[in-house]
Amino acid sequence: MGDISRTDERATVGTHSRTRRRFLQAAAVAGIVSAAGCGSAGDNETGTTTEAEVSSPIGTSDSEQIGSGRSPFGERDISDGVSMSEMPDLAGELTVYSGRGEALVGELLSFIEDRYPELTIRPLYNSASELVNQIITEGQNSPGDVFYSVNAGSLGALATRERTQSLSDETLSLVPEAFQSPDGSWVGTSGRARAIPYNTDILTESSIPTNIMSFPDTTEFDGQLGWAPTYSSFQAFITAMRLLEGESDTRQWLRGMQELNAQSYADEFQIARAVADGEIAVGFTNHYYIQRVLARRTTDAPLRTTFTQNDAGAIFNVAGACMLDTASDTTLSSNFVRHLLSAEAQDYFARKTFEYPLVPEIEPIGRLPSIDSLNPPESINLTELSNLERTITLLRETGVL
Amino acid sequence: MATEYQTDTDTDTNTGPDAADDESSLPLGLTVAAGAVAAAAVIPFIWLLRTGSDVGIKNAIGLITRPTTIQILINSAVLVILTTSICVLLGVPLAYLTVRTDLLFSRVWTVAVSLPLVIPSYVGAFAFVSAFGPRGGFQRLLSPIGIEQIPEIYGLTGTVLVLSLYTYPYVYITTRASLKSMDTTLVDAARTLDHGRWATFRRVTIPQIRPAVAAGALLSSLYVLSDFGTPSIMRYDVFTRVIYVEFGAFGRDTATLLSLQLVAVTLFILWLESRIRGEERTSAGGRSRDIVSLGRWRLPAMILPAGVSALALVVPVIILISWLGTASATVSESLAFQWRYIGNSVTVATATAGVAVIGGIPVAYLSARHDGFLPSAFERFTYVGYAVPGVVIGLALVYFGTSYAAPIYQTLYLLIFAYVVRFLPQSVGSLRASFLAVDPSLPEAARTLGQSSVGAFRYVTLPLVAPGLLGGAALVFLTTMKELPATLLLRPAGFTTLVTHIWAAYKSGYFGQAAVPALVLLAVSGISMLVILAQEGYDVK
Repeated sequence: MGDISRTDERATVGTHSRTRRRFLQAAAVAGIVSAAGCGSAGDNETGTTTEAEVSSPIGTSDSEQIGSGRSPFGERDISDGVSMSEMPDLAGELTVYSGRGEALVGELLSFIEDRYPELTIRPLYNSASELVNQIITEGQNSPGDVFYSVNAGSLGALATRERTQSLSDETLSLVPEAFQSPDGSWVGTSGRARAIPYNTDILTESSIPTNIMSFPDTTEFDGQLGWAPTYSSFQAFITAMRLLEGESDTRQWLRGMQELNAQSYADEFQIARAVADGEIAVGFTNHYYIQRVLARRTTDAPLRTTFTQNDAGAIFNVAGACMLDTASDTTLSSNFVRHLLSAEAQDYFARKTFEYPLVPEIEPIGRLPSIDSLNPPESINLTELSNLERTITLLRETGVL
Repeated sequence: MATEYQTDTDTDTNTGPDAADDESSLPLGLTVAAGAVAAAAVIPFIWLLRTGSDVGIKNAIGLITRPTTIQILINSAVLVILTTSICVLLGVPLAYLTVRTDLLFSRVWTVAVSLPLVIPSYVGAFAFVSAFGPRGGFQRLLSPIGIEQIPEIYGLTGTVLVLSLYTYPYVYITTRASLKSMDTTLVDAARTLDHGRWATFRRVTIPQIRPAVAAGALLSSLYVLSDFGTPSIMRYDVFTRVIYVEFGAFGRDTATLLSLQLVAVTLFILWLESRIRGEERTSAGGRSRDIVSLGRWRLPAMILPAGVSALALVVPVIILISWLGTASATVSESLAFQWRYIGNSVTVATATAGVAVIGGIPVAYLSARHDGFLPSAFERFTYVGYAVPGVVIGLALVYFGTSYAAPIYQTLYLLIFAYVVRFLPQSVGSLRASFLAVDPSLPEAARTLGQSSVGAFRYVTLPLVAPGLLGGAALVFLTTMKELPATLLLRPAGFTTLVTHIWAAYKSGYFGQAAVPALVLLAVSGISMLVILAQEGYDVK
């Protein structure tokens, strides 16, 4: 396996040394002398740490063990990356507006809260877009400190409304630049790829085009393809298409898909389920929905993942976090976001939410499709995906919405 | 608004001896109280007007007049009309069976057929898709005997089916209250005048229960209009979807403008309803002993309540239980069920029901007893909160809370206030129908016997409207138990109710973990319904 994704190989290589240097500086300032071995292994191209490496399964939940490099959430060593024990302690009260579900990140937030006796996390869970609307409506009276989002779009929406403030360099430097806002107003914490789920009883992988623009011409998909036009990740995908292929080709693509009788679903989890059930043959979803359906079926479902290559259908988006302009304790807020980039948290995402770690030193594991199978388009900037307005208009004009 | 009804029979509708039928004679205290309640229910929506008006007129007109808008307005209208009709066709016979006949186990059926109200629409809709969708559980069950195709569940059919099953209890509960307080000596009189059962029902009972049926049907239709979850899962395109798309794309201002459009549609429905509700004089005597013997139909008659509750409750329960077994080993510990969720849900629902009934009394009483613009306007104002999707109320109160009520923002006080704003019409509708049924000569008799007007209300009117009052409380309680969008926006940090827990599990695809709290929600609501019904005391069978 290579690094996080092909787009970022350059950025990643660049950040490796920078990460370590900045980290060491920060550690010196914070007076963490005992932080030995943290980043030093980082440059050691980590080919050997896989989940197969199980030596001692005991005591994994003991938080004292974390610094020594054992994953607190499963069986592997995570001596690379920056451990929470090397980060500044968190103390105070922190209100986190989380667009990520409690089922997915609640355990991680509790884990962080339990580490620090002085820390109280007040989490408010809702959908990301509703939290954005809530934060905008609250205005300067918002009690929120940190917004934790499922996609770059929601973070960008707050950033363009100037409701964020820059995260600290110590936080930003942990993640390749491609996965953060150029002005430091938000940072990605885990990655998700656009994917094509298909039913192996109905289709073979070779019958699925590797170019997203060829889908409307694939008559085999007539009435057999599911999409979720109201879903934010789908809208980000169409935004990418608009940027890469231009508006008129995107319009044509949308019309073509409608002529192909694309079936609308409320969200992409339902699409993955419908494909697994054979209700439809193929669909457009984020990669992890497929993994979650597979993880929850007792019998082997005829559901597999494939990807398109170098186009809007293969964009790599992030879940991420930002510090709100109303954050009462900016050090605490920024350091909390930094904890989401710790080795433990990154390991958690790979393990529990089936996402790609964004800190280059942490290897993806488990059921995740190999990173080599991902070929995201190179010229897309994640912040550009937050401009949904033209996309919505386009979807409306074509009657998709 | 409609003032022409009651013109020929209203000699006895005013409480004061010399009261003329105009607004100057409205009792001051009552009017102020009703006005205050109506104002509290409407004030949050000033935000809606303000934000909506920030959208350029050109954009607004463009959005409203595009062909898709017209199509989905038609879709919404078809959905509302069909669903409301089915609600009446289910709710009224069920109410009649459980109140006026010797139906076996009528109390069990009363609770069972009320309970669909607590099933969140997305759970109900999702269960139906899982059970009856293409390749769903039901189809898989039938495939061994060669049935490969079952009727399409997606689209209008499924949406009407699911929404009808989960909204007919509005009609059922209001109608039931009205039948309970109806003076059955009228029925006896009609029978002695040689009317058959059916003719009596048509000529005596129907006119008596019409305001209550209308109130329930109104609640059903407005609920259907503002629901988003069911149509989106059943893949039927309706008006609320446009609003949600805008919210999802951070077009908050446009979304609120569209919600105003929904308010306009609602006002139209309210106007329509007040035009057709016509003659509303009914009479409740509290003498309701006439029970129709079903004879040999006593057993078959149970098919209706059993069938309806089986479809509405058993289908989701079976689906939920089947999810219980699905690969729960990998689940996050944050989804472990905690008993305090029950306490949280019951506490807010009880408080909301109490406040909504107390606040609803002056509004309902004034509008039932007095004609004119103000009584009618106050009553209709309370429906505004009910007509817009919960997320809009939530945001309106987010603004209100952070701007003017910071100390109670993200506390239970504001959350309960939001629920009251949202569900007030349910108690007002139910209470109003009951007040209309009280013969004004009864409290007047109490006055002549020396009671104060408050005393007459307390000792004569209130007992007579008890079924309506408790019916209203039950409606508010059950709908608060399942309220989600406003809860998510306004709850205190870390405050989890049964429904937010179901949502958290459902949203992440942990259906098995959604099953436990959903089953608990049903059980707790069922028990609460029994408690509420027990308050009717004297004649609950």
